[in-house]
Amino acid sequence: MRLKAFFVFAIACLCTLMLPAWGQATTKIGVITSLTGSLAAFGEAHKNGYAIALDEINAKGGVLGKKVELDFYDDQSKPDQAVQGVSKLIDQDQVPILLGSYSSESTKAIVGSVTQRETPLIIPTATADNVMDSKSPWIFRICAGATDYAKATIAFLKANGAPKKMAIVYENTNFGQSNMKAMTAAAREAGIELVAVESYEAKSPDYKAVLQRVKQANPDVIYFCSYLLDATTLMRQAREVDLNPKYYTSAGTGFAAAEFPTEKGAGKNADFTFSVSQWLPDAKWAGSKEFDAEYFKRFNSHPAYHAIQAYSALRVAAAAINNAKSLDPAKIRDAIKNINLTSTPFGPIKFENGQNQHPVLITQVQKEQYRVVFPPDAAEAKPIIPAPAWSKR
Amino acid sequence: MVRFFQACADGLLTGALYALIGMGLALIFGVMRIVNFAHGAFLMVGMYATYVLFDYFKINPYVGFLPAGLFCFIFGYIVYVALIRPVRDRSHFMQILMTTGIGLILTDSAQLIFKADYRQTNIDLINRSVHLGPFGANAAEVLSFVIALAFVMGLRSFVVRSRTGQALRAISQNPEVAPLMGINLVRIQSFSFALGIALAGVAGGLLLPRLYLFPGVGEDYTTKAFVMVVLGGMGSVEGAAFGGLVLGLSESLTSLYLGNQWALIIDFVLFLLVLSFKPSGIFGRQRA
Repeated sequence: MRLKAFFVFAIACLCTLMLPAWGQATTKIGVITSLTGSLAAFGEAHKNGYAIALDEINAKGGVLGKKVELDFYDDQSKPDQAVQGVSKLIDQDQVPILLGSYSSESTKAIVGSVTQRETPLIIPTATADNVMDSKSPWIFRICAGATDYAKATIAFLKANGAPKKMAIVYENTNFGQSNMKAMTAAAREAGIELVAVESYEAKSPDYKAVLQRVKQANPDVIYFCSYLLDATTLMRQAREVDLNPKYYTSAGTGFAAAEFPTEKGAGKNADFTFSVSQWLPDAKWAGSKEFDAEYFKRFNSHPAYHAIQAYSALRVAAAAINNAKSLDPAKIRDAIKNINLTSTPFGPIKFENGQNQHPVLITQVQKEQYRVVFPPDAAEAKPIIPAPAWSKR
Repeated sequence: MVRFFQACADGLLTGALYALIGMGLALIFGVMRIVNFAHGAFLMVGMYATYVLFDYFKINPYVGFLPAGLFCFIFGYIVYVALIRPVRDRSHFMQILMTTGIGLILTDSAQLIFKADYRQTNIDLINRSVHLGPFGANAAEVLSFVIALAFVMGLRSFVVRSRTGQALRAISQNPEVAPLMGINLVRIQSFSFALGIALAGVAGGLLLPRLYLFPGVGEDYTTKAFVMVVLGGMGSVEGAAFGGLVLGLSESLTSLYLGNQWALIIDFVLFLLVLSFKPSGIFGRQRA
């Protein structure tokens, strides 16, 4: 009797295991991002971008004749959770392709385990250079990287007053470290003297001592590599210690987040800060404005580049699956390699050694709005230099 | 020189909050000889209580920290009766396991209820600053400092002057003899545990406007509270307050002269130095 019960149980188990294999009405695509935790604001942007792409794709009939379904895993803004997400999505849910994660720290952590499982990964937003270091054939990146950020910032500075002394202030994880290294190299090459290079822990409540050290070094330019909450606090405390460089520049991210120039972020303290950017609602690419309008209609706020990068990642994934005519990960990977989207709202998308060649813009917050100020062919406003002293604002 | 004094002022602004946290831990340790490894977690509870009042009832954190402190007092009392009293006479090892476990449960419960999101109150006051000659300070930080200092002074005179305070000190001096003099040991212990937790909660409420809130926020503060208690001499409530100020100063000055990444390291170097060379605390006498 007991044996019989055991057999029934075992068969039931087997059936459950086999369930994903037959009768699936949708195609699942795995997504890892930071829906909660310190980076939740960016995870939210990801989620919104994916949602718009998903509806577009399904309105056109999905992939391989089936509707697409997104299988989300929240990494809680922690790298170890992102790694758990890989095994949950690939081993258990058997998704043929992954998108994610948000941060460089989490993305760097999953590159190895995704490669090991021979599943393609499309990276929407991780800018640290070392996420592409592995040269893994399974890894593709939509966004431009830290070196591109540093080079664009230096080109902008050279064309606008050519300052001589720079300070770098960076948060001490993969994103900040990588951007600090890229800027250190770029500044040396351009003959700009680094008068201070300061790291900080993003959880600390007080950066005043760090900013005091920077103030003492008296730089013309500060280059911040920061996430959102720290960017907000840094600018508030820069006002408190009366730190007045000619240029506040930054490696995007916190300084380019949609919330940053609003009351939810740094508000007026954000004015005159420069940031690298990968996309803006009025970018010249066809479909940019439509994406912005759709985003605003749904979420009642304007998107920053993180949202459209997620949107593009999903578009690429869907196009690749359709081109591959298969859910076999290896075939999808080969299809991504050959992808050549000439017109998307995020510009042309094509991968060379896994990296999409994407141009970098420089923006400045003017009257609590991001305006493109560089390169000249994309500029819509003149940069305001120097940033007025805090006492005169 | 201005930079030096500015860093000292910033250090004291943070130090007064540390003092409040350290005093709570010292109170519990002094009266019960229990090392409360959940102290930072209780601080986090105080922060969330203040945050909930702010978010749902629009109560300013500078008012909300009072009910939050009261909530922590009651919560601490319940925890004492249900969990701490049973291990009161067991080995230190058992007590450490118990309080560590309580801390983990609190942190994970907060994660379950509030998710891992970082939250900020962004009240108006945080964007104002006060100036005094060449020195400047954030208005919210100054207000937190003033309130924390008032609590530190109040607690000190309570411990020194009031009858309950005398009973506290009597137990802390000699837990065997004090009950023979007619002091109700259980009542005093439960009261001081609850009071210690309430202080952590109040400190949490005062930290909220100037920090971000997330479930793991308290972890650093448990270890920092230890450092303060050791700096000030184990179990001495005044000493712990002093240790808090020293810690605030040392962090601020370290960040200014060596860099932010050194601040925590120096904290623990101080801790080890005091433990090895002057275990009774910087200004402490050897306890009876």
